[in-house]
Order: sequence, then structure tokens, then C-alpha cells
Amino acid sequence: MLIKRLAAAALAIAAMAVPAVAQDFIAGIPRNEALIIQGPAAQNAEWFNLWAPGGGSTTNGNQQLSADTLWWINPEGTGDAAWTNALAADKPQYNDDFTQMTVKLKEGIFWSDGVEFTADDVKYTVDTQIAHPGMGWSAPFTVNVESVEVPDRNTVVFNLKEPNSRFHTLFTVRWNAAWIMPKHVFEKVEDPLAYSANPPVSLSAYVLHSYDKAGNWAIWKLRDDWQRTSIGMGLTEAPEVKYVVYRNAGNPDARVIEQMNHNLDVINDIAPEGMFTIARDAADTTAYWFDGFPFAHPDPTLPSVLFNHQVAPFENKDVRWALALMIDIRAVAMGSYRGAANLAALSTPPTGTSITDYYEPMQDWLTSFTLDTGTRQITPYDPTVAEQVAALVRPQWGDQIPSDPEQLKRMFGFGWWKQDLQAATELLQKAGFTKNGNQWMKPDGTPFTIKLMVEGDNIPTLARAGTIIAQQWSMEGIQTTIDVAGPTWGQRLGPGDFQVAIGWTVETWGGHPDLSFFLESYHSDFIKPLGEIQPPRNLQRWTDERLDALIEANRKVSFDSPEVVQLGMDYLKLAVEEMPFIPLMAYNKFAPFDTTYWTGYPSAANPYAASGPFWSNLRYMIVALEANPSAPAAQ
Amino acid sequence: MDGFSKYLAQRLFQFFLVLFLGISLTFLITKLSPVDPVEQSVSLMTSFGATDPRAVELMREALAELYGLQGSLFEQYINFWSRIIVGDFGPSLSSFPTPVMSLIMAALPWTVGLLLQALIISWCLGNLLGALAGYYRSNMLLKLSGALVMALHPVPAYIIGLVLLLLFGFIWPILPISGGAQMNLPPSFSFDYIRSLILHGTLPALTLVLGGIGSWFISMRSLASNIVTDDHVVYAELAGVSSGKIFSQYVARNALLPQLTGLALSLGGVFGGAVITEFVYNYPGVGRLLIQGIYRGDYSLVLGVTTISIVAVAVAVLIIDLLYPLIDPRVRLG
Repeated sequence: MLIKRLAAAALAIAAMAVPAVAQDFIAGIPRNEALIIQGPAAQNAEWFNLWAPGGGSTTNGNQQLSADTLWWINPEGTGDAAWTNALAADKPQYNDDFTQMTVKLKEGIFWSDGVEFTADDVKYTVDTQIAHPGMGWSAPFTVNVESVEVPDRNTVVFNLKEPNSRFHTLFTVRWNAAWIMPKHVFEKVEDPLAYSANPPVSLSAYVLHSYDKAGNWAIWKLRDDWQRTSIGMGLTEAPEVKYVVYRNAGNPDARVIEQMNHNLDVINDIAPEGMFTIARDAADTTAYWFDGFPFAHPDPTLPSVLFNHQVAPFENKDVRWALALMIDIRAVAMGSYRGAANLAALSTPPTGTSITDYYEPMQDWLTSFTLDTGTRQITPYDPTVAEQVAALVRPQWGDQIPSDPEQLKRMFGFGWWKQDLQAATELLQKAGFTKNGNQWMKPDGTPFTIKLMVEGDNIPTLARAGTIIAQQWSMEGIQTTIDVAGPTWGQRLGPGDFQVAIGWTVETWGGHPDLSFFLESYHSDFIKPLGEIQPPRNLQRWTDERLDALIEANRKVSFDSPEVVQLGMDYLKLAVEEMPFIPLMAYNKFAPFDTTYWTGYPSAANPYAASGPFWSNLRYMIVALEANPSAPAAQ
Repeated sequence: MDGFSKYLAQRLFQFFLVLFLGISLTFLITKLSPVDPVEQSVSLMTSFGATDPRAVELMREALAELYGLQGSLFEQYINFWSRIIVGDFGPSLSSFPTPVMSLIMAALPWTVGLLLQALIISWCLGNLLGALAGYYRSNMLLKLSGALVMALHPVPAYIIGLVLLLLFGFIWPILPISGGAQMNLPPSFSFDYIRSLILHGTLPALTLVLGGIGSWFISMRSLASNIVTDDHVVYAELAGVSSGKIFSQYVARNALLPQLTGLALSLGGVFGGAVITEFVYNYPGVGRLLIQGIYRGDYSLVLGVTTISIVAVAVAVLIIDLLYPLIDPRVRLG
């Protein structure tokens, strides 16, 4: 009797606790006016000062929606269309020796509190950050800027300490850039490093509406005076997205569920399996970068196998090439991305303008490229890899896999190196290695073993790629163990605490062929001894006099000079010859869009803007989206 | 000095020793972390952007100065103690210059609210079912619930969380699967907000309850099974005392004392957060904060969270120790 009574009481309590219906998704905001974007948890949710290292404000919509600067490059674009004059009226004007840059500003742009934007804001941005070491762009301004002049309210003149033909890139957004500070706000602040800028004044079309103090969401609202912004000036009609919600949608599984429940319009990244689930079960309400397989959006970054050139025997190019030729890239593509990888043989990501500027024109060179194995000359490039990967995924995806080789190249990449175990053997022998049974021995007689560092679960696709490469090297007699570094991965790359790693060492503008974006830091002047922290990029610590000469030549030509592409090609050829790292693929992100409420997302066929939630170029997508007329009625 | 005073002095000495050693060890362990907060900030500020190596070097120096990371380890240790004595953990290095205490105080109510209710529910349910199962050993319903609870006990919280997430977020989507409350709903004592809190807390709490109930059940059933065979229980049964009274007054009540000790210790642990559950459900508590701190090399934040957790557990143990002599005279006599 007692048990029955207790059981009845428990059931009654449970019935009361279970809700009859779920609440509306966003209180007080019609769902069909809001675009919901995946954002991370903001630890410092009340901090909106983009210029201080406070964290939390760079990925919650603050820089994506409310900040602005002089120029933008669409990382997905090509040619002149990829360039946007934002706060600047024209492209940067340099003097002959690149020691002075003059900028004409647009008129009629206002901060969200009604104060007009002028050249004084730009000067204040530079002067204030130079005066406050620790602010976000203090260091590059200090290194470059001698003084800033404001001859009139719409003109800024930067006097540089030394010639720099790329100075304007500090104010050119690809992911972010030096955002302009509101002088009228910060000049009243005693310490700009300790100022939370809450609420932030906006220089772009959206302004902060509300935010969660626990950091799970931030909501941005279209400004009433959106036309008085650089992005608004270019629009003929008001953006249809009235609210933008950056919300922390939880772990990758939760993101898939939330999008299928129509509670998350834009995803930053999920695992291939999650992507395929959405494609299978929610195809009618989902858009992708590619209209079908491989779905993924390729970032203009280049995951690679990084060799530490300051650790023997990886300073030897024959060893590096041997390891490259031991890889069966088809297995890597299948194992990491289940085939949905965009392979890269050149040391620049196969995205944006690199396709037309580098990949297409260099195919003949790649095909005829010869490598001396010590016993013979080989031509290692295989331009048919895309077709081979297509054949592997066709049984699963059927008609979604085209047969046109040109289309396949866009989907799977232009080509890669043939797995050539005999050539790898010859190269290792050329380098003085010997084989004992199935174990390769180094010239000093000790076994050749490798520790291959990967980040781990945070980027599962690349951890899988590393694991497969490790298996392939092990099978060929080089015992390779995976070293999962977790949160220390980035920390260990800097001081060179690795032998071989899967990581990024190349990022590009995407929408511009200039490779100085990463190449500048490859100069041997910046190489550190092992144990000291290497500046970002060139984590492999590659040095080469020919590389230095290319970098120095690139510094002397202007950003838009035709010579930029030629110098870029020279770098890419040198990188193929030397194989300082093994480029694998573009960093493909599975970032599906829910079309229940919004349509008109960018795609491979219409790459008008970036689509990643944290890329500031995303704003150009947001203002272009159209409300889906079939969307459920407003809640 | 009488027996109790001596006992009290010993316990207080132990309490302060535990605090000193625990916090000092935490300080040293966090300093051994290879994750450098300056490098994390440099990475954050230079990621995805063109980076002039000379500027990066300058930035690194400026941030080290800004974060106050100069000085020897010993100097930092002395400085650390001088601050935490007054409850100041300094600025968070990953959310500079926001004080660590502000971040913890923002997260603590979420964690305490969630864990407290989950702990109390699992403690009550586990003990009740355990005591019943220990006393009514042949009851099929109790045997079944016992089997279910024990089957869930070894399942990791991550798995339980994901299963519930799929069940109530996707297959039968009636509960929110992420966050602490509805978006754009200002915190208040309104019906809507409280309802929202309950809805968002249901799945995390259920995960903790399902995972936590087993240990209480097993220990209580074991205690109750032993007491059932004690002379006073057998005598009561022979004397015709009702089974309900025997269960509540003779069995459950006697078995409860050690369980109360366990509850007090678990209450102290509440301040450390439920790391995995908070991660799965994206719940804005201390556990999630701790993970963020570890990943970003923010040892000020990690130290703050762990110090509060150490103090809470030590205080809980001290309170139990001080209460024991009042309950058990043998302890008072030393």
C-alpha cells in the first residue's frame, strides 16, 4: 500500500513537471523576422569593446554586424567584384615609395547614436591604440605609423615609418581588420582597455538589441537609419532580416537537431555525419554551398602536414617528398571527410580567386613537374584524383556526382600526388635511409619513427586525416604514432614542440591573389630558434634564400600589380619543389542553411559573400537574404 | 582542554591545512599548464588576419605586462594568497579585465540551482527506493526499479545526456535542449521566466538525477538490508508493529545518518559544477566556465573556480565533523 501511494505521488509530480507545450523560441521577436546564427558561448558576455583583448565580443555579432572599417574583400570572390570600398570612398592611394597612404572617406555615414563618422575617428583609432599597448591593433600601428594627418573631415593621410605597400590591409576585412573607434565615446573614457563599451555604438546596419548575461545569445536589430551606413548606402531596399540572433546552439549533435527543428538558420560547422543526416532528412528545407554532395564550404585556409624543419630528418626535402608520396590521398579524403574534401596540391587553398589565378593556369606546369628520386625522374602529379574520388563516392550519392571533369575539379580539387611507394623508397635511400625488414632506419642506424600531432576532437575531420596518414606511413615502415594535443595543440606549434603536425600554415585573402597575407611572415628574418615562439604562419620554420627573394620582391610591388600573381606562382612552384609542408585540402566546413524562413544564401554558384558566422563579410549575406514567403506565420 | 575542545582544535587545524594544501597545489598545477594565456590572446587577436611578425612580438610583450604575469613563480604565489584572502582572484586573463569573481558569480546561481535540485531529487529518490528495496526485498516493482537504477548507474553522464537530448529534443521535441532560459526573456520572478527556467533545466537535471540516483540507491539498500536483520527490527515484527512504521521508524531512519554525511559532502561539491552535463546542454554554469578557462589557459579563472570548490567541500566536511560529536558521544570523547 505504501509503495503504491508513493508511486502515485511520484507520477503526479512527474506529470506536473512535464510541460504541455514548449515556449516560443524567442520571446517577443517574430521568428520570421529573425535570422538565427550559431555563435559560441561568450564567457565575457557584457564586454563589447572590440579594441581591447577582453574576449567574447568578436564572435557574438559585434564585429560581424556593428563594426566597420575602410575596405572589404569578399573571401569567396574574384577580381574587382571581390573588393568593396566601405568607409573609404576609393581604393588606397600610396605615394611612389609607399611611405604615405591617403584615404578619402565617404560622406553621410553616422554612428548609431546619431554622431557623424569623420576622419577624426580614423585618426583617433590609430593614435589611441599606439598610446595604449595591449589594444588589438596597437602593435601593428606602432610598427608602421609615424603620424596620421587629417587635412579635412573626409581625408586621412597616414605617414609610415618605412615603405609598406600592404599597409592598407590593416584596414581591409577578410575575417576582421582594424575597426574604427567611435572617438566621441572613447575620448570620454579614462582607460580604453578597461572600458566594456556596453552598449556598443554601431557603425554598421545593425545595433545591439539585447544579450544574455550568461553569454548564450546576443540579438542585433536593424537600425532605423540603416541607410546612413556604408553597407546601407549600397542597398535600394531595406534588409528583410530585422533581427539577427547569435546563439550558442551547443555541441555538434545539438546543432543538427536545432537546425532540423528550424531553430538555427546558419551553422558554422558540424561533422560530416551530421551534414549527411540533414541532407537526407531535411533536404527540402536546407541549402548548401554546393547544391549536393560534397555540400561543404571551403574556407580559404589550407590544412597541411607540417614538418618541423628544425628537427631532423625533416629538414631534408627528399624525406618530406618521400612521406608525401607514401600518402594515398583518396583514403585521406574518404576517411576524413567521407569523400567531401577539396584537395590541394599547391600551397594555397583552392578557393576564391586562387582557382583562376593559380590552380587553372598551373595545371600544365604541375603535370609536367619532374622530381628526381636519386635513381630516376618521375612526374608525380595526378590530375585525375577528383575523378577517382568521385568514383568512390558515386555508389552512395548516385546522380549527385557529376561526370564532367571540370565540375568534379570544383567539388573535389584539381589533382594531387600519386601514391608512389617505389619513388618514396628511392627518395629515402637517396637521403641515406636503409630498410631493416619493414622498418626504415635513419642514416645514423636508429629507427625512423614519427609522432604526428593533431588537435583532436575539436576538429574531428583533421584528426581523422592525421590518423589515416599515420596508418599509411606505419604500413610503409615508418612507425607513426598520433599525438593528440587537445587544447595545447596551438601552444605547441608556436615553440616548435612537434615533429610533424596537422595544422594550418597558409591562409589567404581568398578574394585576392596577393599572398602576402601569410607569406610576409615566411621571411627568414622572423625564424626563431627551437623553443622560442615562432610568429603565426611558417610554423614549419622553412627558410630558403629563394623564398626571401620572392617576399622582398612582393613588398616592392603594389597590391593590385599584375606582378603579384607571377610572384605568387613563383612561390607555389618553389613550394612544390621543396615540399616544406604537404598541403592536403581546403578546410571544408559543413555549414548548411535552413531555408524555412530565409532564402538567397550564397553558394558556389553565387558566391556573393562569406557565409561563416564569424566572418565579418557575413553582413553582406544578411542584408541580401529574402524572407521565405512559405515560412510559418509569425509566432 | 576537554575532549570536545581538543577535537574541535584538531578539526580546525585539519580544515585550514586542507585549504592551504589544496589551494597551493591548484596554484602550482595551473602554473604547470602548457597553455599560455598570453599566447591564447595573441592567437585570438591575430587569427584569420594578416600578421606582421614584428607586431606580434610587440603584442606579446604588451599583453604579458597588461596581465601582470611578470615576476617569479614565488612572487606570483605570494601575490595570489594576498588577494584570495580578501576574495579577490584578480582579472580573468581570457576575459580581461573582468574580475574572475564576477564571472563566477554570474555562473554560480545556474550551477547551484541545477545541481541543488538534481542532488536533492536524486538523494530523496535514491534513498527512498533503496530503503524500500532493502526492506521489501521480494517486491517485484522495487526489484525492477532497482535493476533499472543500477543499470543507469555506470552509464556516463555524456551518454545519458545525449540520449535524452535526442529523445526530447528531436524524436519527441517538447523540451529545449540548449541554454538556461528562453532567449530575450529578461530575468525576473514572472511566471514566464520561472517556467522557462524549469523547462530549460529539466533535461540537465534529469541527466544528473538518472546518473546520480544509483549510488544513493545502492548504499541505502545495503544499509537497510543490514538493519532489517537487527534484533530491534525482528523484535518489532514479532511484536506486531505495522510494516510502515517499522520501515519509517526502525529501518529508514537508522540508515539515514551515513547518507546525510554523503549528502553534505555532495552539497560541497555543487560549487564545482557539473562539467559534462553543462557542456552537453550548453548550460551556463560553473562547469562550463571551468572548461573555458582550461582551454584558454586562463589560470586565474581555473584557480577561482577550484578554490571555491575546495573551500565549499572543506567547509561541508568541517560542519559534519563538528556536528558528529553532538550525534555520537563516542566522537566527543575522542
